[in-house]
Amino acid sequence: MDSDFSLFERHVDALYRSALRLTRKPEDAEDLVQETYLRAYRYRNRFKPGTNEKAWLFTIMTNVFRNRLRQRPAPTEPLDQPGTDFSIYDQLRREGMPVHLMSPEEIIVERGFGDEVKHALEELPLPMRMVVVLVDVEDFSYKEVASILGIKIGTVMSRLHRGRQALQKKLWEYSGRPKARPVAVGAH
Amino acid sequence: MGDHCEQTMRKLSGYIDRELSDAEVRSVKAHLDDCPPCDKVFDFQAEMKRLVRRECCTDDAPARLRDWVRQLATEKAPARDQEA
Ligand SMILES: [Zn+2]
Repeated sequence: MDSDFSLFERHVDALYRSALRLTRKPEDAEDLVQETYLRAYRYRNRFKPGTNEKAWLFTIMTNVFRNRLRQRPAPTEPLDQPGTDFSIYDQLRREGMPVHLMSPEEIIVERGFGDEVKHALEELPLPMRMVVVLVDVEDFSYKEVASILGIKIGTVMSRLHRGRQALQKKLWEYSGRPKARPVAVGAH
Repeated sequence: MGDHCEQTMRKLSGYIDRELSDAEVRSVKAHLDDCPPCDKVFDFQAEMKRLVRRECCTDDAPARLRDWVRQLATEKAPARDQEA
């Protein structure tokens, strides 16, 4: 049984980088990962062999993290922000840039949108940030994320959608451009 | 923007995240092959996803944390130095 714990060890980098996005501080991230592994170790008999051990560890970590947020008064973050549709691509096109003739790399790198991704991600409200990290960085399926966070798949999808738009909006602002005006949905 | 474009844009996230059924994948792919404007949007959003992953994968766990976890597996884990 104990030798199986090595199965969990290999996810330490994934847990740490996600912990860092959630807590924003290296020392808090390290502490969160330690607590996660202590619990995983204590409850290792509850893990069903053959199921996804990475998802199991992330479930523990997000639970520990949410419990900590409840204990420590943190600045309140809005749970769900109403989203206005935004994408860097559409915004540049509206401004008359020939985006259809440019590669994504040209748009992102040469226009300076790629420099502060971590910072932008860490600025997202937590519910959206968690979903974007789990899907885009950790490559979990919508179903796995729903199970890890204890939410519905539809909620995963809407938070992901709004999280990605909010991320692009932040990258837009960090690149030194004026705040983007909200645009009617479907404008093309 | 035609109906097919709108349908495709609605399914774009699912397509990029590999969450669609085989039939949906085929219909999205057929439209993207046919419609350069939608295909460019797809390229861009797919690159944004890769960018997020690439940028965030650079933070590896500190060596002492890695060692601590390894020791835990052998049940010789030191007590945590402080309680948060
Ligand atoms: Zn189209």
